[in-house]
Amino acid sequence: MARKALKGIPVSAGIAIGKTYFLDMGGNTSTVRMDIDKGHIHEERNRLKKAFSLALTDLENIRKKIPPELKEQSTIIDSHIMILKDRKFQKSARDYIRSRMINAEWALEYAVSDIEEVFSRIEDEYIRERIQDVRLVADRVRKQLHGQPADKGSMTQRMILLASDLSPADTIELQLDKIMAFATMSGGKTSHAGIIARSLQIPAIVGVEGLSELQGGQFVILDGFNGKIIVDPEEDELSHYTELKYQFAEYQSLVNRNCYLPAETIDGYRIRVAANIELFEEVTAVLDRGGEGIGLYRTEYSYLNRENLPGEEELFEEYRDLASIAYPHKVVIRTLDLGADKIATQLGPFREANPALGLRAIRFCRKYPELFKTQLRAILRASAQGNVSIMFPMVSGLQELREVKKIYFSVRDELKAENIDYDPAMPMGIMIELPSAVLTSDLLAREVDFFSIGTNDLIQYSLGIDRTNKHVSYLYQPLHPAILRSIKMIIDAGHEAGIEVSLCGEVAADPYCVPILMGMKIDSISLNPQAIPGIKRIIRQTTMDECMELLKRVLESNDIQDSNRLVTEMIFTRFPEELMFYTSLVED
Amino acid sequence: MDENNLEAKVSLDNEFGLHARPAAILAKEAQKFSSDIRLLLDGREVDAKSILDILTLAATSGSVLIIRARGDDAPAAVKRIKQIISARFEAKR
Repeated sequence: MARKALKGIPVSAGIAIGKTYFLDMGGNTSTVRMDIDKGHIHEERNRLKKAFSLALTDLENIRKKIPPELKEQSTIIDSHIMILKDRKFQKSARDYIRSRMINAEWALEYAVSDIEEVFSRIEDEYIRERIQDVRLVADRVRKQLHGQPADKGSMTQRMILLASDLSPADTIELQLDKIMAFATMSGGKTSHAGIIARSLQIPAIVGVEGLSELQGGQFVILDGFNGKIIVDPEEDELSHYTELKYQFAEYQSLVNRNCYLPAETIDGYRIRVAANIELFEEVTAVLDRGGEGIGLYRTEYSYLNRENLPGEEELFEEYRDLASIAYPHKVVIRTLDLGADKIATQLGPFREANPALGLRAIRFCRKYPELFKTQLRAILRASAQGNVSIMFPMVSGLQELREVKKIYFSVRDELKAENIDYDPAMPMGIMIELPSAVLTSDLLAREVDFFSIGTNDLIQYSLGIDRTNKHVSYLYQPLHPAILRSIKMIIDAGHEAGIEVSLCGEVAADPYCVPILMGMKIDSISLNPQAIPGIKRIIRQTTMDECMELLKRVLESNDIQDSNRLVTEMIFTRFPEELMFYTSLVED
Repeated sequence: MDENNLEAKVSLDNEFGLHARPAAILAKEAQKFSSDIRLLLDGREVDAKSILDILTLAATSGSVLIIRARGDDAPAAVKRIKQIISARFEAKR
């Protein structure tokens, strides 16, 4: 076969060389047309009928398990059930098997595209978009045809995974130990797929053009430094990349050896480097890599891929174990940031026109106070048994913060009345990730014990771009003057009020951005565990003087290109050996 | 007039017209009757038992729909469908 190269956005460093595995996420990538003979028509029609009825049972079970406080979501499932039961839809698919003498999968495609055609002529945009529901329903039937569920578990050897996209929920079903790298069609620089890859320490590329033309079982090189996939590589490429892979492994072991040294600059300015984690199991990785506690514990995962909501006792045990393993280090537990792209699957597809601007995080919790209180009780109880802090996400202003605090304090009073132990001095903080919170950070600072800057969302909301949309992700610029000024404003407001300011976005793991954060006198940063050793090494090799000088020059330049050049220059002259192995959010 | 072949007019007053939720509710109710039930709008005619058909009607708020039923339980069917639409799909579900 001929050599072919595809280009994408690198999101996790490293080189992988191996065979591809195409993950069918219910998309039509693996649906094939097969002609069948007359004798098999009846059998094939029955197979489709059975798939429809299994999918229906499935949906009806999901419907039953939706918790009472989320009944609203069940109306979406209801309409999916009705689509599944739609006799015309079913009949049209089954008729295609007979008239075209084709397999059930392809007949289903035909039936769906007929509906698509009719819907495409509907003027009302909202109703026209309901075709998405038809597609979701068809996916469910297709999964049943494939022998359910979609075969995420059938990899036999370590493979390079190709998929249209990977959500956090998808990865829960994957056999992670069998994946040596992955590439997705959609996604941008900071999409979740990248976060997942970096936490697994495997190379990854997102937004790959032409990925759908690849097939399973092809031999490829995946270059996670430059965002390249080379299909059927030449001999010399193979040896080059094998060498690079080896060098990278050596660099990593060098960096890891010194990871326990403190993150202190040559001139004695020390910051705390903590970790962002989402799974309890990651704690050991944090401590092994020199992480000083957990700066962000994402709590969504206990709510994902299950049939009921977790109870107080279960959550308490999780948080308590986490706190005691990390002790004496601090663990900052962020309350549920569910919503938008992280919807719990048991709630069904949660449709909002603008999920990022919709019911998520603290808004979601305020709408479902019982669910929120259960989590608050669990966190408070855990605070009695470790060094725990609590943090609220997506706070938009003072009024909202006070409402949230009211709930928080009422839960504390409840515990007190019940004689249940908690730490009354547990620090309480908020994420600053909305422009409105930035502009009112001086007011917010008087109400809390600490700030944590969530740059991923802050950049997204400030610059008005969807970070997972590859058409606009080029605008995702951490060094945009608006972003730098925002971060500085937050840090200054925090320090003015005498509270600690931390930063927990992807920027904290970006060697190009860290010197600037240092220059702003950030108190601590929190990043993915794998990046901790490298970032600590960079901090140890800088001086506060040069960081402040760099910051000054960057703030004075009013041009992003200029700023990017300034930081690149510094990194290039000061840490040339690091450059080869880093992917940065900063464009060059 | 034939008792088992009826028509009724009803205007659609809910906020967003016949979108997914109302369509699901309508189809579900229609399926409870043995009669053939149709919805007519601007010369187009769809099967009221099919959610996809109902959606393709793309009836917006303010449209006037005609319900047509043919069969043994036609009077009850027309009455029920009309009632649901008039109550803006908010009655008992």
